[in-house]
Amino acid sequence: MNGQYASLLIALPLISAFFVPLIKGAGEKAVKGYLVLITTLQTAVAAWVFQTVYTTGKPIIVMAGAWKPPVGIDLYLGHFAALFVLIVAAVSFMTAVFSYVADIKPPADKYVMLSLLLMLGATGMIATGDIFNLFVFMEITSITAYALTAYNKTGEAAEASLKYMILGGIGSSFFLIGLTLIYGSLGTLNMAQIAQLAGSMNPTVAQVGLSLIIFGLAVEAELFPLNAWAPDAYQAAPYAVAVMFSAFVVKAGLYAMVRLLYLMQTVKSWHSVLSLLIAMAVLTVVVAEFAALRQRDVKRMIAYSSISQVGLIAFALALGTRAGVDAGVFHMINHAIVKALLFLGVGYVGVKLGGTSIEDFRGLGRRMPLTAFTLTIGSLAAVGIPLFNIFWSKIRILVAGIEAGYTWGVALILGASVVEAVYYIRFIHAMWFTGEGERIGEGISMSLILLFLAALVIVIGVYPQYAWSLAQKAGNDIFNVGQYIKNVPLMPLTGVGA
Amino acid sequence: MISVYYFGAISLVLIGLYAVLVKKNVLKILIGLSIMESGVNLLLVSVGYIAGRSAPILSEGVGPNNAVDPIPQALVLTAIVIGVATTALALSAAIILYEKYGTLNIEEIRRLRG
Repeated sequence: MNGQYASLLIALPLISAFFVPLIKGAGEKAVKGYLVLITTLQTAVAAWVFQTVYTTGKPIIVMAGAWKPPVGIDLYLGHFAALFVLIVAAVSFMTAVFSYVADIKPPADKYVMLSLLLMLGATGMIATGDIFNLFVFMEITSITAYALTAYNKTGEAAEASLKYMILGGIGSSFFLIGLTLIYGSLGTLNMAQIAQLAGSMNPTVAQVGLSLIIFGLAVEAELFPLNAWAPDAYQAAPYAVAVMFSAFVVKAGLYAMVRLLYLMQTVKSWHSVLSLLIAMAVLTVVVAEFAALRQRDVKRMIAYSSISQVGLIAFALALGTRAGVDAGVFHMINHAIVKALLFLGVGYVGVKLGGTSIEDFRGLGRRMPLTAFTLTIGSLAAVGIPLFNIFWSKIRILVAGIEAGYTWGVALILGASVVEAVYYIRFIHAMWFTGEGERIGEGISMSLILLFLAALVIVIGVYPQYAWSLAQKAGNDIFNVGQYIKNVPLMPLTGVGA
Repeated sequence: MISVYYFGAISLVLIGLYAVLVKKNVLKILIGLSIMESGVNLLLVSVGYIAGRSAPILSEGVGPNNAVDPIPQALVLTAIVIGVATTALALSAAIILYEKYGTLNIEEIRRLRG
């Protein structure tokens, strides 16, 4: 099949979002079923792209309107993008099933439209090969994310959403200034060409531009000090939305940040930008873990835990070594699985029992044994216990950190991990050893999804080799910029203005 | 020489940032955001400005050699549209806030606490 069909990844959710008003008349269930259908199709396309890229070993490059880059905008589906587009689609499918089974407040058509656009934005951010196109996809993602945060229309939801919008607005302005500085000095927006020319950039301009871009993306990527919106948004947003935020919106922001960072590694002031990001990442881990410790609401607690894990990923990716990037990508995969599991499980409990404070979870082992079991697996994995998937990526990150000479960062992260163990064990204790209650029926489709995710956690934990080889290929896609430039068929620049 | 337009654009950004960080009223914060966006847009346009050339619209007497760089202008158009969407969404969130809390002062809007 022709690689250009990969543009369906962008086209399908976009066109489907426009058809939602037509289906609205058929009722709430029909609209939600439509979401399940479209996300299934998207997962199929993403699986095809994944299969093609990983068997041929070559990236798929989609050229819009057959214009060669840098004149046209290209989509670059390399090893990283193919893998994460699949994760985005699969998680969207799971949340679609979740919102079909569990209650999303009417009007469901608005929810369906927005979550299709959120999936589109994250996919685009991961796939695009043009920096301004990246900005547009980032804005699509964040505007739909603002709206989804406010979806419940309560005062709290509006408050969280407004906080997010203000920080996001500052972030996108910063990003645009950084983009202006890069465009002003290099005269191009194509990522491959930026990588080619980056060495000729004035180091000060490059440093300022890159730092502004990192600050801009740090809002989406939930890095300290621009993550104040995140716990509020997770708490106030519908459960399904929290799953999507944690599993792929954050990843898209992190990916964009790291991609741009490594593209410009020939810039002379590159290492000072790396140390900025390392400082932000370590602070994120420490601050979020201590904040998580004093939460009474489980959803908010897991939100903080998610933020701290994101800090860990950013730390690994900012080390500037091959080992760090590979370990970071591996952790991104594991984090997406574990946090999807935890947020889906907590959301399911929230829907069934009407709340997610720690009191609601007492006796969950008796009331919803299957959900409690999968939540326990997710919690143990998040702590980083051996034989669960996060153990492998965490240990690789720490080793890579020591090799790169950041022993202080590793020490702080290890200290914060102890805190993480405390609150997760408290959570497990509440589920199994306190409280009483009647058995509540658990739906078959949600049980299947939760069991599937829990099985993934354990399979990767026991046999990490396959996932690790995927992560190494994806990490190489980010780290090996020379290959990236070679893969993009840049139009030779001759004649006027070249 | 650094163009005077850059100073103008950056000072607009800083004025906007000041309003966002210091003001207590939600509407003033949103106005600050809009000012910031305008500053960024001006910066983007002025990067592509070449003294003495005209707008990049194909018409009589205007060719590739006497027009300014068209790419920043295309980018700014996109950025303006995005800015409008964000502002509209933020204002509708502010309406809900006012309905539920009866105030727009951010110091009184603090129900979400961990």
